[in-house]
Amino acid sequence: MGDRTDPAGGGIAVADYDVVIVGAGPVGALLARELGDDGTQVLVLEAGPAAGRTWAEYQANVEQYLGSDAKVPNSPYYTPQYAPSPNVLDIRKLKDGVPSDAGYFVQKGPLPFSSDYLRSQGGTMLHWLATCLRMVPNDFEQQSRYGKGVDWPISYDELRAHYARAEFELGVSANVEDQAYLGITFPEDYVFPMVRIPPSYLDQHIANTINGSTVPLDGGDAKLLVSSTPQARNSIPNPDYDGGKGYRPRGAHGAPYEGLRCEGNSSCIPICPVQAKYNPLKTWEQVGPNVEVRTQCVVSQVLHLGKAGPVQGLEYIDYTDGAPPSKPERVTADLYILAGGSIENAKLLLGSDVPNTYDHIGRHLMDHPYVIAWASMPENIGAFRGPSSTSGIEILRDGSFRSDRAAFRMEIDNWGWDFCTFAPYTDVEAAVHGNGNGKGLFGSALRDHLADTVPRQFRFGFLYEQLPSRGNRVEVDNRYLDALGLPRPVITYDVDTYTRAGMAASRSLWEKLFAVLGAEDHTKFSRTDPGYLTHDGKPYTYHGAGHNVGTHRMGDHPENSVVDSYQRCWEHENLYLVGCGSLPTIATSNPSLTMTALIFRTLESLRDDLGIR
Amino acid sequence: MTEAPAQSFAALSAALTGFRVAELWGTGQVEPYLAAVLATVGDDVVARLLREGDEALGSPDPRQALQERVLDDDRLGPVARNVIVLWYLGQWDPLPQDWRNRFGASPLDVAGVVSPAAYRSGLVWRAIGAHPMGAEGPGYGSWATAPTLPAAG
Repeated sequence: MGDRTDPAGGGIAVADYDVVIVGAGPVGALLARELGDDGTQVLVLEAGPAAGRTWAEYQANVEQYLGSDAKVPNSPYYTPQYAPSPNVLDIRKLKDGVPSDAGYFVQKGPLPFSSDYLRSQGGTMLHWLATCLRMVPNDFEQQSRYGKGVDWPISYDELRAHYARAEFELGVSANVEDQAYLGITFPEDYVFPMVRIPPSYLDQHIANTINGSTVPLDGGDAKLLVSSTPQARNSIPNPDYDGGKGYRPRGAHGAPYEGLRCEGNSSCIPICPVQAKYNPLKTWEQVGPNVEVRTQCVVSQVLHLGKAGPVQGLEYIDYTDGAPPSKPERVTADLYILAGGSIENAKLLLGSDVPNTYDHIGRHLMDHPYVIAWASMPENIGAFRGPSSTSGIEILRDGSFRSDRAAFRMEIDNWGWDFCTFAPYTDVEAAVHGNGNGKGLFGSALRDHLADTVPRQFRFGFLYEQLPSRGNRVEVDNRYLDALGLPRPVITYDVDTYTRAGMAASRSLWEKLFAVLGAEDHTKFSRTDPGYLTHDGKPYTYHGAGHNVGTHRMGDHPENSVVDSYQRCWEHENLYLVGCGSLPTIATSNPSLTMTALIFRTLESLRDDLGIR
Repeated sequence: MTEAPAQSFAALSAALTGFRVAELWGTGQVEPYLAAVLATVGDDVVARLLREGDEALGSPDPRQALQERVLDDDRLGPVARNVIVLWYLGQWDPLPQDWRNRFGASPLDVAGVVSPAAYRSGLVWRAIGAHPMGAEGPGYGSWATAPTLPAAG
């Protein structure tokens, strides 16, 4: 491969490239590097900009974040007019039957899909938290074991070696003894690339208080254990890695001696200033000369035969900010890979009217509805220090209760109440203005008040599994178009009683934990919150976790899925749909590690197709 | 700007925030903040604020005098409280609507972070024994140690 001349000397149409990849995010970066290194000619088309290619450009993103009024996940990053991204600031409380088209998404409800993503080189993993939990083996057999959701076409054991490869690529810090639970197994000599990130002072306090105690759940007593969270951020390399060869942490893109350790900048989301956290720019730095990347090129059409069969090409629109966009250009390849994220992949396929015999494209959209419970400790526990979350309760992620209610994991969060109350900003404003009663504080009284209250803040974040539902979906609608005249994602979304029952179980847990810790519960759910809902008469507010899963799920047959277990589209044999959109269920692990592991499985199939050995 | 208003502003700011004058100068924000307040509420209000501040700080009970002469004053109180927020958070909050109605609205009186440097200088992070999120990372593993609060001046 790699020679694009026509060996027959004309007459036979030769594709422009071996492979075209749509999307220069985490999936596109890894696939481009691997295929390029194989000698394959690869074109990558990215809708968003090429920000952050140098250390200086990246630092400009950091400055943009520091100067932002609302420090939301997309705040450090430039989003061009012709490639808009969803923004969490645009999430509205929905009224019955009235779609909200604030921002890029069109939300039909009944509840809002509350996550964003980023269209940019590097993609949404520029602002991920870097949690790298493996799925538990039973997650792959949820239908067989619990009669819920669907089974995956592959097992944990089939993915286990790919998980190890993904942990290398992302640079995961963890200790095996903390991660071997609920049937998760490792080869006997396995160690993670780096040792675990030190658990925060808050984690240690909670672990010391609750480990070994129980909480009544699902008619029994659930034993509690705080686990260190595996994270793709640099810690101390493990000398035993790879049979004693060790591991060399990867520093910042363009500044290899920056970010070799996490420095505790406490801004993993939305941007790690030193890049101690993995981001796909580090992979882009490794991409070789066989790969051509064109940013600010929005793929507008997948060209097809109007029936099952090979895709015929792609059309894309090249644009420059502030100028009228160009006419669509056409490109062809032997293989096409959509890696734009679950919602963009579905939007492009549906907008291209790609044959979809069994009507699965765009359906089964999932996220982790994320509920926060927050409280104040009796003593200073050092809030607002370190990575957002360094430990959690993971041992409740599986059990026979999954026949009845959603499993969840629980993050212990080190950043006080910032996500739920906008602390410490609101603490300062309330103290200075005296909550409007004219009794505001100033001077040492103000300083002492803040020193006494804010460092005691902590919160728990609960991530619940959500079952795949045909009704939760992405559609396109000609009434809702972007600045290029291309469809915007139209989303229908709800949270079912299975997930709500998981929320109810988590309430038992957080109430018990707050009591045992002697903490004062400040949790408050308001009817005006966009994600407000109730279950058994009790309120909850969910947020988005940014885990946009589903829309082109994998399965063992075209009747139940869009892609096979290698992420090849059943109906279009030269088309791969790669990324979180292929996950048939979301279970309880943050999905990026599993997404990355699946890339290595997909590469086996791509290499077969391309004749690479 | 002459030196005197900046000196007065720094001294008043120290009394309002509970931080030492030298710490405030060390942030590099005394002059940018004074300029921002001047541009937003005008010379007259700032001159009154600094004059009343000087008088209060020179009195036998500066704390009580500051409360009465500055914070309880209809015109100066809301501005002084905004100066405190400016120092603690690096951002300007809009003045109350009744203040604008009585003393004049300014197109610059809008919510916003003054600058990335202002955000980094926010006193709240020091007050709580932390660091501005996204800057001045205290080092690998620092979050695992027992928290401490810096000694107040």
